[in-house]
Amino acid sequence: MSTRNAFAREGQTGDSDAALARLSGTLDMAIERLERARPFAKARYQGPVLDVLGRIIAQPGGLGVVRQRAPRMDAAGLFAGSDWDRPEVLLPQLVGATLMSEDPAFQALETASLARFLAVADGEARHDNLHQEGARHFLTQVLALNLKDLFGVPDEAARALGSRYELKRRVLGHIADHVGLNDVLSVLVSEIWRLLEQRSIQVGVVKDMIAQIAIALNEKGTAPGSTRLGAERLVSALFGPTTASRDDPGLEVYLDRLSVADESGLSREAMGFARAMHDTGLVSDYHAVFLTWALDYGERPLIPEALGLGSTGLDCWRHYRGLIEKLVRSAVSPATPQAAYGLAMLLERGILHHAPMVPALERQLSLSLQGAARDRIALGFVPAVPPETQLLAGVLQVLGQPLGVGQGANPTCQSARAIAMWALNDPDYLLHLITQMAEYDTLQMQFEGTPINSADLPLGLAGPGPIDADPVSVLLVAHLDRIYAEMGRLCAGRTGDPHTWINPQFHGWWVSRDCAVAVDVATGKLAGYEDFLRRFFAAYHPDYNGGRPLGHPQPAGIAVTDAQQTFVGWHAIAILRVSEDQAGRMRVYFYNPNNDSGQDWGNDVVVSTSGHGERYGEGSLEFEAFLSRVYLFHDEPLRSRYGQEIPADLIRTARDQALASWAADRQPEPAPEGT
Amino acid sequence: MTEKNPEKGYVALLGWSLNAIDAVDRFDRRYVVVAPPWAEDYCKQNDIPFVPWDFDRLNERSHELAHQLDDMGVDVAIPIFEETVEWAGAVNAVLLKNPRLLGQAMLFRDKSLMKRRAQLGGIRVGVFEEAHDRGDVIRFLKRVNQTLLKLDGDPNDPIHFKAFDKSGTAGHRVIRTPEDVDNIPDEEFPALLESHLDGWEFAVEAWIKNGKIQFLNISEYVTLGYSVFVPATPELEAHRERITEEIEKLIEVFDIDFGFIHPEYFLTSDNKLYFGEVAYRPPGFNALELIERAYGFNGYQGLVLAFDPKTTQEELDAFFPEEVVDARGHAGCFGVYPRRRVVSRLEVPEETANHPYFEFHELSDPREQKVAKRSAFGTHWGLAYFFGDNAHDLRDLLKRQEELDYYI
Repeated sequence: MSTRNAFAREGQTGDSDAALARLSGTLDMAIERLERARPFAKARYQGPVLDVLGRIIAQPGGLGVVRQRAPRMDAAGLFAGSDWDRPEVLLPQLVGATLMSEDPAFQALETASLARFLAVADGEARHDNLHQEGARHFLTQVLALNLKDLFGVPDEAARALGSRYELKRRVLGHIADHVGLNDVLSVLVSEIWRLLEQRSIQVGVVKDMIAQIAIALNEKGTAPGSTRLGAERLVSALFGPTTASRDDPGLEVYLDRLSVADESGLSREAMGFARAMHDTGLVSDYHAVFLTWALDYGERPLIPEALGLGSTGLDCWRHYRGLIEKLVRSAVSPATPQAAYGLAMLLERGILHHAPMVPALERQLSLSLQGAARDRIALGFVPAVPPETQLLAGVLQVLGQPLGVGQGANPTCQSARAIAMWALNDPDYLLHLITQMAEYDTLQMQFEGTPINSADLPLGLAGPGPIDADPVSVLLVAHLDRIYAEMGRLCAGRTGDPHTWINPQFHGWWVSRDCAVAVDVATGKLAGYEDFLRRFFAAYHPDYNGGRPLGHPQPAGIAVTDAQQTFVGWHAIAILRVSEDQAGRMRVYFYNPNNDSGQDWGNDVVVSTSGHGERYGEGSLEFEAFLSRVYLFHDEPLRSRYGQEIPADLIRTARDQALASWAADRQPEPAPEGT
Repeated sequence: MTEKNPEKGYVALLGWSLNAIDAVDRFDRRYVVVAPPWAEDYCKQNDIPFVPWDFDRLNERSHELAHQLDDMGVDVAIPIFEETVEWAGAVNAVLLKNPRLLGQAMLFRDKSLMKRRAQLGGIRVGVFEEAHDRGDVIRFLKRVNQTLLKLDGDPNDPIHFKAFDKSGTAGHRVIRTPEDVDNIPDEEFPALLESHLDGWEFAVEAWIKNGKIQFLNISEYVTLGYSVFVPATPELEAHRERITEEIEKLIEVFDIDFGFIHPEYFLTSDNKLYFGEVAYRPPGFNALELIERAYGFNGYQGLVLAFDPKTTQEELDAFFPEEVVDARGHAGCFGVYPRRRVVSRLEVPEETANHPYFEFHELSDPREQKVAKRSAFGTHWGLAYFFGDNAHDLRDLLKRQEELDYYI
């Protein structure tokens, strides 16, 4: 598709040329003042720059001026003190609204920020926390999320916004001119598939992107080809997965159609929904109303077909039909369609056969949210359904897709990981915690015999907690975070990494009691690193641990690095299993509470999320590559000897990769180390 | 922090001003900020040298501050706000071993004493009186208008009311009727009352060292409380010689050896210069910034040079450009007040936004939709800045802004 015509170079005439030249001069003066200012005085000089920017971007050719100066404005401190100062954490889904902000300063700030991404993406500038690919990826996502405004004929609402909307279109057009739109759709489609394969619980952004694609396909059409096919598969899964819903007729018309459908037609509908759902992990609104409708359809049960149940799921259906029907009725609605997928996967896991689960879910069905817990859920989700429905839907999703739990944009990887591991391992315990929170607004735990009551504790790292996560996380994380912090305080004074004691106490008996740490906590330098590496082999590698598979997920700490191998920070993950992939290479499969596991950690250490034997939600790396980023893991204390027979070259591979990246400046002095 | 020159003076800034700190941090003199304790964390985080101090009423503790600064090796204190002028006087009396400096500072802080001292020194001032209550104000208003041979029912000529110890337009009211008198709050007494002078109002910023003027700027007011620009129009600059003489009189009468003064004058239609008042601190309305825009030097750094006893004449000559001829253009600013009773948003008027002289604004977003009725001159909601070659065009442009709505 050609967008060059649509966004032909912004024409310039003599008058506007002169105005632009003059404004550019004023901008340079304002930037110089900002550059001169000390860091503590930047704020005062940002406003004038933004003010001039606001006028420049309204001029023909103004966006080019902004792009030229973007890296300089960034370096001068235009973004200092705001979220925009950290481009690596900016969310592409927020850009569209900011570009149309009522406050021209925000429009200018967002435009300048995008111009900086453009300069980095074009290779004209470098940024410490932003690499070229990352910048390009971000811009592609921005375009993808705003396709409608790029192509679409503005609707009434957009027209009412006047110049604000016009600016957004011009900025998007300018980006498209530079990044190229030809591959936005195909990048977008493959990006969506990549995300879907991880089966995150939160699919809001993906659904938004698919909606944008639907509009773009409708407005513009595309050349036939695999991109179009993939795009249409996504669009139909969401807006018309079955024969009777193909034309996206609206829920009421659809229900009318169901009421006159014959037996085989209904069966086709049910199977169509199931196929689309298991294909994408997305649940159409039509699917949700179909399930509710099917509850009252007396002729025969359609639910198992519509959930696409396999043998385990069907077995659960036969045993617990009453409970399952209640769950559908209470949790699945057009506001919470994804609960259907959660339920299907929950049944497929067979966990209803675990004795405490049925009563625990019955309790969940009768739960009434109180006080602050109720307010939090109400704050985080649309009010179309009661908070209890949101929470129940969230419970089904977390239990059905444990590895789909994500931390959102919050520093709460520990808590997200705990929720995922309990959902995987201890589902009835998780439901117990949810009940405590929902009814009493507190969590009670123990640390080595000392009782901890979260309601008595000060706020943790996450403050009042996330609202951009799944309902279970929204409910629990703020309190888990406090408990985690309290356990840290109780470890004060002990030598060694506090996770040694916190992890088993926080998560459960199944976390191994011994803990190996690669760095000395006090100095941050590597300590006994070779020994550490050997021990990891002996604990986790089937060839060196006597062929014992990992029983329970084990928390571990990794040193996250970016694509340039620069150390980014410590991060909590969980090791799930270690086994050979299709090609016979030993891989570690792990859970990363980060919302997107597919990350490039530099030097070909690229976390794979599909294609190497991963199950939904797993990330994986080859054993040595994974080990090179581990800095903390748990191990059984009773293991007497380990790692004697491990070939030196395997250890060296992992060691070299670590030293080339996060551990580069952590070598202890004097140089020779270890045993 | 810029490399500091240990051979040069060590200055203390009295009062919290980020602009001043920013400028001085970039200058070659060692410095310390003396400000209320709430600034402490901020200073720690930003490596700003800091001494916590409460500047309430001047009291016996001024000696304590002076000795603390003396022990640190500080050479001189620079007042940043009206409220710290007498503190600086008290501190400098100790640091520079010159007790007279405290008395001098008290003169600057009391508008009535200041005016009498000027009058005694032969400087022309308007009719003025002190007011301790509303009755004094009514009496003055009546007497001034009787003198002007007004008949009952004629509109009164206004008088000016200035709280003794407030700076700039804060506490400055124009009084025309007894009703205006009722609106004066109790805490603004005692105050200085002045007759209204019709004429050309302007201010001067003068950096002084060794009793000599090092740089003299004339700031032309377009409308008091709204707009000002530098350098002034050629018509006003034509009086520069006389104005310089007036400033020299001030230096003599107030016995000023060093520092910075900011006096205000009226040039009346009969071509006489009347002294209004003088402050021993940087002016409001960001006048130093306008001077920097026009001349390229930083006024706060100029202040440091003027106060530092270790500054040489060569340094001063190198630092300050030549008045008027070295200006790159005329820089002005306009203080924006909302004109409507209810406003919902900020929108720079189109004709302003498109004017080649308009540079940028620092206007705040309307936080409350209801506009407080202006008593006194009040506080503007921010400044809009302009810059251009022609002083007359700039003056007319600034005047024009008064008729435009920035908040709608």
